[in-house]
Amino acid sequence: MLKFPKFAAVAALAFAALASPSLADGDVGAGEKVFKKCAACHAVGDGAKHKVGPELNDVFGRTAGSVDDYKYSKPMMAAGEGGLVWDDTTLTEYLANPKAMVKGTKMAFAGLKKDDEIANVLAYLKSFSESEAASAPAAAETAEAAPVETAEASPAAEAEPVEAMAVETSKGAFGLGRVAMADEIAAWDIDIRPDGTGLPEGKGTVAEGEPLFADNCAVCHGDFGEGAGRWPVLAGGQDTLLKDRPVKTIGSYWPYLSTVFDYVRRAMPFGDARSLSDDDVYALTAYLLYLNDIVDDEDFELSNENFASIRLPNEDNFIPDDRLNEPHYAKGLEPCMTDCKPGPVEITARAQIIDVTPEGEGDENTGGGID
Amino acid sequence: MVDKTDPQATKRAASRRDFLKAGLLGGAAVAASAGVARAAGEPLITEIQDWNRYLGEGVDVAPYGKPSEFEANVVRRNVPWLTSDPVSSINFTPLHELEGIITPNGLCFERHHGGTAVINPADHRLMINGLVDTPLVFTMEDLKRFPRENRVYFLECAANGGMEWRGSQLNGCQFTHGMIHCVVYTGVPLRYLLEEAGVKTNGKWLLAEGADAAAMTRSIPIEKALDDCLVAFKMNGEALRAEQGYPLRLCVPGWEGNMWVKWLRRLEIGDEPWAQREETSKYTDLLADGKARRHTFVMDVKSVITSPSPQAPVTHGKGPLVISGLAWSGSGTIKRVDVTIDGGRSWQPARIDGPSLPKALHRFYLDINWDGSEMLLQSRAIDDQGLVQPTKNELRAARGENSIYHNNGIQTWHVNTDGVVENVEVS
Repeated sequence: MLKFPKFAAVAALAFAALASPSLADGDVGAGEKVFKKCAACHAVGDGAKHKVGPELNDVFGRTAGSVDDYKYSKPMMAAGEGGLVWDDTTLTEYLANPKAMVKGTKMAFAGLKKDDEIANVLAYLKSFSESEAASAPAAAETAEAAPVETAEASPAAEAEPVEAMAVETSKGAFGLGRVAMADEIAAWDIDIRPDGTGLPEGKGTVAEGEPLFADNCAVCHGDFGEGAGRWPVLAGGQDTLLKDRPVKTIGSYWPYLSTVFDYVRRAMPFGDARSLSDDDVYALTAYLLYLNDIVDDEDFELSNENFASIRLPNEDNFIPDDRLNEPHYAKGLEPCMTDCKPGPVEITARAQIIDVTPEGEGDENTGGGID
Repeated sequence: MVDKTDPQATKRAASRRDFLKAGLLGGAAVAASAGVARAAGEPLITEIQDWNRYLGEGVDVAPYGKPSEFEANVVRRNVPWLTSDPVSSINFTPLHELEGIITPNGLCFERHHGGTAVINPADHRLMINGLVDTPLVFTMEDLKRFPRENRVYFLECAANGGMEWRGSQLNGCQFTHGMIHCVVYTGVPLRYLLEEAGVKTNGKWLLAEGADAAAMTRSIPIEKALDDCLVAFKMNGEALRAEQGYPLRLCVPGWEGNMWVKWLRRLEIGDEPWAQREETSKYTDLLADGKARRHTFVMDVKSVITSPSPQAPVTHGKGPLVISGLAWSGSGTIKRVDVTIDGGRSWQPARIDGPSLPKALHRFYLDINWDGSEMLLQSRAIDDQGLVQPTKNELRAARGENSIYHNNGIQTWHVNTDGVVENVEVS
């Protein structure tokens, strides 16, 4: 009972945004073609009977879920009980995305993606609806007009930017999906490349980054990037890459500064991703440069202007995958099958001596980490 | 040998004690093992059991079935000290309990970087943008209207075995090799989606991005994307499990598990790789000379004996023994697996049983008559490219001990005369 007023309001808004006169201006002939997409499940016209979906004669003015001898989904019947009546407004919303409007409807159709298709199919259906005059006030101005005349009405305003783009279908071989809008791409495409491609405008200093780091990062990474527990160490570790326990930090290991900015912006602080402003991320990145002795001035300001000029010390130490040049992968090696070792084989290492297996006695932090 | 933490084992031990009290142990044990008929007989047979008399549960008790209560030990396990927090961590597939080549969905190891995202498929969108003719957005419904394929692939974390570089450390096949699973995926070939958007000629790389709180990203060469990658929505016939990326994940067959982005929401085409966190600070392989390999995408030829293994000791004494194991290669199929029981002095080809599919797990067996003496078990896989699984010492000689990733060295299990198994290394 509570559901319908909510989506009625949404429908009205959507309707308003869609340059309302266009809806009544559908073309019956064009609508008949569009209806072929519906005809697998719906019949309309003389002697139309229910198929997978209910017959659609007099659908205009019909309360949703109200045809006695058709078995509707429960949500559709509830929508009707909530006051949903089919008219230009409600059908326009429903046909654009059935499941969004009546969650749980058994109509499997994904929706008509083009406004003119909806207008045309509604014009076609309207020609089979005697009580069309009873439709919503928004459609009243055309209620008296014979359906065939609607084609003569002035074409709908072409200026329907946002909603029209939203339903622009793919031009690909399958015609599936819709065109992504610029704002949508901007919302998700936040990746930064080493050459600075993708950087947003902004700036931040080391000094600005320090309190941000203390508030947002130090709990895991330590006040100076030294890492708490097994959380990643972010600073220090220079000259450890050749040692038994290398400490791989931004300063000692990471090849590119862009990775710092990109990752902080997309995934940090841990558990509250995307909460930092771009300027905050510039300031934190500047502070991390300072912690790694790559800049030494607290007034240093990092921005989209100077970002690409900063190089990390270990950049040149990354090489392509050359595993197949290793001697054990030499081509044509035939593995030994017999007498492969001269004498009895000796055990040189035992897991039970280290004993860090879960459910064992020790739970010491002795192993190499993988995070 | 009774594991006190396992209620089923305790129960089984208790029933053995009852059996003892009945004074039948000697005779029944002989009867059971040698097949000699005794008048008294084994009570399990001569006495009517509860399950043979009373009714069991009806069909409506478990609309979604679960494993038998006697299999409660067959679970994924975590190694708490490995990572800082379970929401950015990993657990391990219990390989020692499994057979065949398919991993049950609930036992597939998990690795995620910001916890398991929970996404209603109606709210999920997949975007393609970047160097394409038309940037597109797909709903799950759209994706399910593309032609789909079913493929069996293993997924192995590049860090599988990463804790073993400096020597034997974890005493269990689950922990040394359990960052792997193999299921049948149903999905849309990625190239159909890319072709729908139209990749521009300068599009050389693809960035895959997840919708989780880590917004996981990896760069993938366009040749691979157009070759055999899948955008999958089913595993083993049912929807992806939430922890495996429900409702949508990328399959990058034969390549590092980290690239199989879960909760897949965006594919960007570019002309260069993006150098994201997971392909610079992580998933790069530090060598002994301080250089680090990057873009080490392909998973290596590898095998392991899953039973016997430390968590699956030999409990039946000498005589017939099934040595069971898994082999795989990111380059194709497994051509042969050799097994040694003497630490590598002599080898014999194992029997590969079941399907042999490219970039999928292969099951192998060696059926032996164990004489009850100590064994040093190893397996060695050879793939259809002729690549031979190296020893751990060969890998260390080539790379040092700090690579973390891509440890495909030959595993050794020591079996003592009691059948107890330990993770060891040999000369």
